[in-house]
Amino acid sequence: MSHGDTIPLHPSSQSDIDEIESLINAAPSATVLPARPPSPPRASIPVSSSPAPPPFLPAKPATAGAPPLPPPSLGVNVASAAAAVPPGGRLQGGIGADGFGSAPNTLTEPVWDTVKRDLSRIVSNLKLVVFPNPFREDPGKALRDWDLWGPFFFIIFLGLTLSWSASVKKSEVFAVAFAVLAAGAIILTVNVLLLGGHIIFFQSLSLLGYCLFPLDIGALICMLKNNVIIKIVVVTITLAWSSWAAYPFMSAAVNPRRKALALYPVFLMYVSVGFLIIAID
Amino acid sequence: MDRIQNTEENYANPKTCFFHVIFKAAALAFYVLSALFFDSFVIIFVVTVLLAALDFWVVKNVSGRILVGLRWWNEINEQGESVWKFECLDQESLARMNKKDSWLFWWTLYLTAVAWVFLGIFSLIRFQADYLLVVGVCLSLSVANIVGFTKCRKDARKQIQQFASQTIASRFSSTLQSAFSVV
Repeated sequence: MSHGDTIPLHPSSQSDIDEIESLINAAPSATVLPARPPSPPRASIPVSSSPAPPPFLPAKPATAGAPPLPPPSLGVNVASAAAAVPPGGRLQGGIGADGFGSAPNTLTEPVWDTVKRDLSRIVSNLKLVVFPNPFREDPGKALRDWDLWGPFFFIIFLGLTLSWSASVKKSEVFAVAFAVLAAGAIILTVNVLLLGGHIIFFQSLSLLGYCLFPLDIGALICMLKNNVIIKIVVVTITLAWSSWAAYPFMSAAVNPRRKALALYPVFLMYVSVGFLIIAID
Repeated sequence: MDRIQNTEENYANPKTCFFHVIFKAAALAFYVLSALFFDSFVIIFVVTVLLAALDFWVVKNVSGRILVGLRWWNEINEQGESVWKFECLDQESLARMNKKDSWLFWWTLYLTAVAWVFLGIFSLIRFQADYLLVVGVCLSLSVANIVGFTKCRKDARKQIQQFASQTIASRFSSTLQSAFSVV
């Protein structure tokens, strides 16, 4: 074989050969060469602090958009809030399915990171929905990051508070409160959809759940102070607060001529919960 | 290579499998056994639903990723429409997933839903509407996870097929090109 016959190498092969040569030359002080090429990213969970749900594998994301219609009915918060439950946190390093190189205590870390992220999302959603915020952008887009964990906790808390305040029939009170609130939220959402409004099912459930927060506070105060006058005052204030919180989202979702039709049932539901709070002693 | 063969005979992620199963079992056990110890419906409801919610979260965020390499979630895009996103590992990693892990994952998922259906039928027969509420909530959580992961798996298979056909097509065309260039 003469020199004239040598085939020019492919550019990447040339760089590989250069790499290997340099490693061989540096061998006495270098680390051991890998016996095989580095493994592709496996079930490693990349860490990220971004609020948006990140792709599972940064190197090879495989997302698919489903039709934009409302999904099958769901329950808790989950993520979806719930719903659809919140995307999990991530952790750097291989929690691979291969069995070697897995750190024994990394299972606790992603849980804690995810929990922190979910809690901060609940708090931020709460601030967005319930508290006066002059810098709030378009209300329809505000609850983009919906989750159902917040509403879940608020409904359970309200049921527990009412049940605790009741002197008789505690179980019935809890069951009725939970069922009325859950079914009420679903029916109100269906009402908006039937009125031709543009709202997403879980976003609306999430919103109505978060707007229960003032009534939670009202129920707590009423549990601590059993005076009827104070109860009426507190419930009226918190009721107004809840309705005020729900108003922008609901009214933005429907045709302006049908605003009252969409808002009246919401107000009715909160009024009935308010009466439940006052009546329990 | 020996190490890989050894670990394939056991569960590759025993801790995750444990957590995957424990909350489901605890919710079912608490619901069934609590009638013997507690008289209060409220405690039964809150604890069972809490355990079921924890199980939902663990399956969706932790064991789904680690045991079968799938993940699903919902996003709202710029136009304000809701989009369901499904994500899966690449084919090589999926093929390397432990068979026992994924067997456990899918079977416990289906069995819990079936168990809740049976408990629901029992409470229906006894005309206990409030216990039916508990069963309803837990069942909807299990069904949500089942539907989400099944859709995710179908999506993963479709993508693998697409990827395979693309690879074949590109290889075929590059072979053709090299054949013609030699000529």
